[in-house]
Amino acid sequence: MVADAQLTKKRKQSHYDDDNTSTFKDAVDIEMLSEEEGDEGDDGLYDGEYENFPGIDVESDEEDSEFEDIEGEEDRNDDEEEDSQDTDIENHHVFPQAKDIISDITGQPKRVFPEIEPDYDSDSSTEDAPNRVGNIPMHWYDDLPHVGYDMDGKSVLKPARGDELDKFLETVEDPTAWTSAFDKNTQSDKPLTSEELDLIRRLYENEVPDAEYDPYEPTTEWFTGKGKEEVMPLSAAPEPKRRWIPSKWEKKKVMKIVRAIRQGRIVPNKPKTATARPQFYAIWSETSASYAPPLPAPKPALPTNAESYNPPEEYLPTAEERRKWEEMEPEDRERDYLPHKYPSLRLVPGYDRFIKERFNRQLDLYMAPRVQRVKLNIDPESLIPKLPSPNSLKPFPTYRSLRFQHPDLARCISVSPDGAWVVSGDEKGTVSLWEIIVGREVKRWKFGGKIGAIQWCPRNDANYFVVGSEDALHCLVPPNLPQTVYQATLETLAPTNLPPTPETPSPVKWSTPVSNSWTDETPLLTIRLPSGSGLPNHVAWHRKGDYMASVCTGGSQGGVWIHQISRRHSQAPFKKVKGNVQLVLFHPLKPHFFVATQQYVRMYNLSEQKLLKTLIPGIKWISSMDVHPSGDHLIVGGYDRKLCWFDLELSDKPYKILRCVSVFFLCGTNNQSSFWLYRYHSRAIRSLQFHPIYPLFASSSDDGTIQVFHARVYNDLMTDPLIVPLKILRGHGVANGLGVLQVKWCSKHPWLVSAGADGGINVWCS
Amino acid sequence: MGRLRQKGKAGAAKAYVTRTVAIKKLQCSLADFRRLCILKGIFPREPRSRKKANKGSSAPTSFYYAKDIAYLAHEPVLRKLREHKAFAKKLSRAIGRGEWSDAKSLEENKPVYKLDHIIKERYPTFIDAVRDIDDALCMIFLFASLPSNSRVPPSLVENCTRLAAEWQLYVMHTRSLRKAFLSIKGVYYQAEIMDQHVTWLVPYQFTQNIPADVDVRVMLTFLELYQTLLGFILFKLYTDRGLVYPPPLDAKKDEGAAGIGAFVIQDTTQTSTRPIVKNKIVEVDGRLVTGKDVHHTIKSLAANTNTSTDASADVDRTGPETTQKHEEEEFIAQPSKTQQVASLPTLHSLEALPSSSNTSLFSPYAFFLSRETSRPIVEFLIRSFGGRIGWPASSGSGSPFDESDDSITHVIIDRPLFERPDETPEERERRSHRKYIQPQWVVDCINAGKILLEAPYAQGVTELPPHLSPFGEFDGAYDPLSTANGNGAIDEAVGSESDMNEDEEEVEDQDTEASGALNAISVVTDDPASLRAAELVAEASGMDSTSFERKVAKSRRKSKKHDDAEEREKNMNKMMMSNKKRKLYEKMKYSQSKRADERATLEEKKREIQKQKRMAGKS
Repeated sequence: MVADAQLTKKRKQSHYDDDNTSTFKDAVDIEMLSEEEGDEGDDGLYDGEYENFPGIDVESDEEDSEFEDIEGEEDRNDDEEEDSQDTDIENHHVFPQAKDIISDITGQPKRVFPEIEPDYDSDSSTEDAPNRVGNIPMHWYDDLPHVGYDMDGKSVLKPARGDELDKFLETVEDPTAWTSAFDKNTQSDKPLTSEELDLIRRLYENEVPDAEYDPYEPTTEWFTGKGKEEVMPLSAAPEPKRRWIPSKWEKKKVMKIVRAIRQGRIVPNKPKTATARPQFYAIWSETSASYAPPLPAPKPALPTNAESYNPPEEYLPTAEERRKWEEMEPEDRERDYLPHKYPSLRLVPGYDRFIKERFNRQLDLYMAPRVQRVKLNIDPESLIPKLPSPNSLKPFPTYRSLRFQHPDLARCISVSPDGAWVVSGDEKGTVSLWEIIVGREVKRWKFGGKIGAIQWCPRNDANYFVVGSEDALHCLVPPNLPQTVYQATLETLAPTNLPPTPETPSPVKWSTPVSNSWTDETPLLTIRLPSGSGLPNHVAWHRKGDYMASVCTGGSQGGVWIHQISRRHSQAPFKKVKGNVQLVLFHPLKPHFFVATQQYVRMYNLSEQKLLKTLIPGIKWISSMDVHPSGDHLIVGGYDRKLCWFDLELSDKPYKILRCVSVFFLCGTNNQSSFWLYRYHSRAIRSLQFHPIYPLFASSSDDGTIQVFHARVYNDLMTDPLIVPLKILRGHGVANGLGVLQVKWCSKHPWLVSAGADGGINVWCS
Repeated sequence: MGRLRQKGKAGAAKAYVTRTVAIKKLQCSLADFRRLCILKGIFPREPRSRKKANKGSSAPTSFYYAKDIAYLAHEPVLRKLREHKAFAKKLSRAIGRGEWSDAKSLEENKPVYKLDHIIKERYPTFIDAVRDIDDALCMIFLFASLPSNSRVPPSLVENCTRLAAEWQLYVMHTRSLRKAFLSIKGVYYQAEIMDQHVTWLVPYQFTQNIPADVDVRVMLTFLELYQTLLGFILFKLYTDRGLVYPPPLDAKKDEGAAGIGAFVIQDTTQTSTRPIVKNKIVEVDGRLVTGKDVHHTIKSLAANTNTSTDASADVDRTGPETTQKHEEEEFIAQPSKTQQVASLPTLHSLEALPSSSNTSLFSPYAFFLSRETSRPIVEFLIRSFGGRIGWPASSGSGSPFDESDDSITHVIIDRPLFERPDETPEERERRSHRKYIQPQWVVDCINAGKILLEAPYAQGVTELPPHLSPFGEFDGAYDPLSTANGNGAIDEAVGSESDMNEDEEEVEDQDTEASGALNAISVVTDDPASLRAAELVAEASGMDSTSFERKVAKSRRKSKKHDDAEEREKNMNKMMMSNKKRKLYEKMKYSQSKRADERATLEEKKREIQKQKRMAGKS
């Protein structure tokens, strides 16, 4: 029996385990604490032997078997039936058998039913636990002495738990500590069974968790295979007669057709479609559909004189033309044939490309996309805008009145506010002051490095100009000034009591020589920019003549400084400037400040210290810029030969772009071929300026020309500014690829002063 | 917030489909799609933005309107094409299995599509159809002249020949031919039908071979459509005219290569067949007009106007035509005898309006073709303008008269002059009555609308007058005739001026006179012809060439100065043009200058040729 039991145990181990533990618990001690119970279970399992099973009382064994019977459990019954002989008869009984015993107390016989043990079909997982609180958060019992209640409603006390040291010692001492896990329900460590450990191992190694499961079981053939074939027919009825007798009804139908054929009602094998010829009829006699007909395909061009078999002789190609025609690709040819003259009609041969041409026409008809185009039939001259004649827009400079020669490339000029003097500087460091009308040089200064910028102070009461050279700005006073003006100038540039120096020391040093060493030769005031800021190549005055902005080639903060003459103070308006600052300008009326970087022009409000707008001229490299005296318009010129006119109230994009366009038509060999071109500057634009009074502006370029424009701006917002090209002034030479470097207007007259790379400075008069 | 718009759900992306998508939608092969497009007249479109239409891709594809493709989807022809595909499978299966009778019955019941509905769809009215038959006629005439082979079955060539002949018969019958042009590609004809100008090109009679790079399938598909279209048009034209369509074919004549003559024009009211050539005999006052009579008339006319019309190049002979008109009038006069409404335009008054061309130009004449001339061309031309024509038996049967006929006035001959040593006096007599002309004379007469002088076109003349296109060219193109006249005018002017100079020479000073001539120069310095005239004047007045040139240069400079200022102003204004206008302007200027250049080149060449000719004449 033991052997049998073991056999069965091996087959159904896991199932058995459940039974085992439950029966075991019940039998031994129901009220046993889980720890002990676990220990005992442990022992039994670890032994792997079930000798104590026979020691269990018969009742339990019987009960087991009975329950299995009720379940209809398979194989085990056979083994256990032998053990429980007496219960065999009652196999079909649902309830367990009662026993009649003599009561100890009363001495009367009484019927005792065995205790009902909830078993396999009921949820055994909850049965075996003594704690019956269910699946609740166990921390509710944290500060209570018990952990729940058992089946009888008695509290289950918390097992004694050691402190952390005990725990640690336990793990060290107890060799099985690593196989135990904390059970929340009992608040104690519970050793895992070997099955559970095996399950964990299997999961860990990605095996099938069920040790019993065999994935490679041999198939069992139940209905197929040898000896199981079906041999009996489904029906034993004999084959009907109609299977082999011809159909009467079919015959009748066929005969009907045969009769029809014989009578000629049906013509067999009449070809229905193959030989049908198209039948024409009056297709257009019915009313046509309402829709418009599809557009007809364009007709091919009609033949011209050149296609004649006997054309006039001038149509015949010369040898040169013939060669050219033959060399051209067939698609590029203007005509698909060469004119040819035959003396007589009978000598005209067949045209070899006839079929090819017809085919090409058909390809055009069904494969070429067709587009309807509107043909303009206008005179091209009407497209040229009608502008007033330059003659009606006089005065503007038209001729060169005089030329002042510098020894080297003259880079900068400035005209005095009264319009009588010109001061010019060159690369060698020479600054000359001369009269605009006669060109007589009055004074010459000499500086160490080259002159980057010269700008006359716009004040009327004082008279001086600033020369930018070599990290410094020098304020020079022209000679022969009236006494009052001279005094005012001195007061401005070298005041007797200097203004207080600002708290924060500026890197810009203002210096004035001591009063006894003052001469005409030396500057009265020198503003030394921080070293390394390079040549100041642009200087711009505020209209009131107190503030002056300078731009240097190098240095921090974009090289931009704003100097205040009265306070002898310089400040850098920008902490950091995006891009490479080319130019700066003061707005003529408002406290606005224009800064041109390489590609953008930014407009700042100086009083509020914020960016107003960014203008996008679309020029690769801005070279020059000027603002209209009204303050609403700005022109920007670039090294890429473009001039942009901005209406500041309108948009960030230019209102008008003037650019170089050159078109050449070189047609044929005869003199009638037209060659025309029109262009704005053909090389980089160097300088631009609006006239302060007259509606004029001028631009100069590296191509050695100056272009003068009429630029009329209207007060009302609706009328666009009128720009009329007036005159191209030529007279400057181009040296080393540089042409006219700067143009300046004379403030009182429509006269223009221009400095060229050849060292010449021209005055253009109207 | 507006509704979210998904990309590719509206606009160009929806309106256009690529060819591949179209084929996928129609579930047919590319060849079938092409066939459908040809038959239905559907062609690719050019979207304004290819990228937008192709969902962002700029790959080179052809686009169709999505609606066009949807319109193709329920086309009966497409269904037939699918049926044909199934049929082809069945047939090849039957043949592969050796089921011959099945294959035969399949072949007999093969699906064939009809194009009638397509014709009606594409050309809702008859005028639409007539407007669009240029290409159809060209193809029909081309295939009529092709040799048949495996790809071009003989039945097709035969059908094309028949259609071509029917068309020509109609044009001849209605006298609607207007212009003709002998080009190096073939002969262009232009007819006026239903107020539409129909132009077609007929190749010269040589065997054409289909080149290898031509897809015959495409041509045959077009031809299929064109045959049907032309069939319906001819049916309508013939029936509107009260003629039987199709005109019966005289098999015997056809055997003898009678060409157009083998068809018989038959009135629907009359049952008897009457060849058209029979009623072409001209009658005047009930008397037959023969070639001799015509010659007499011409001679008498010529004698009258001999002195005056010496210079004019041609003689207008309208005498016999009036009688012809008179004869035609009798048809119309009948209904309007009792009451006449003057205000209403009658058919007669409409016909009296100056027509663009004289349709009975050749009616007084009888022509005979020499055997080397192309009979189909000349016969068609002459009969379209009312002439009678005969030909030798070698050019085909059915000639109404033979060479010995006395009524022959012109012989169209295209071979060099040769001696006739063994000529009977009778033949010589006949020869003297006839004019021997080259075929170009016929075409030039038609294009000029009048009978030209025969002498420049006489037999054996190698330098025929140039044959010009009657269709004209664009405005301002080089006109070979006008420049010739212009030069003549200049020569005349120079002559008269120099005459005048001779008179004045005694009276006036040389200088003043020369300056007068130069004044003229300053006005017309641009025109090279007038410049030459002025140079001649100066030479006549005794100036040497260098001083003349200096003066010319001076005067030019003077005039230029003024022009230059204006020109410069304009050039500066060009700077202010917007980009769009500038591009348009450049384009227009480019095409203008190209045309002017072309013209100038031709004029230059012409001058060169004339100069050479003069040199040759002098030496």
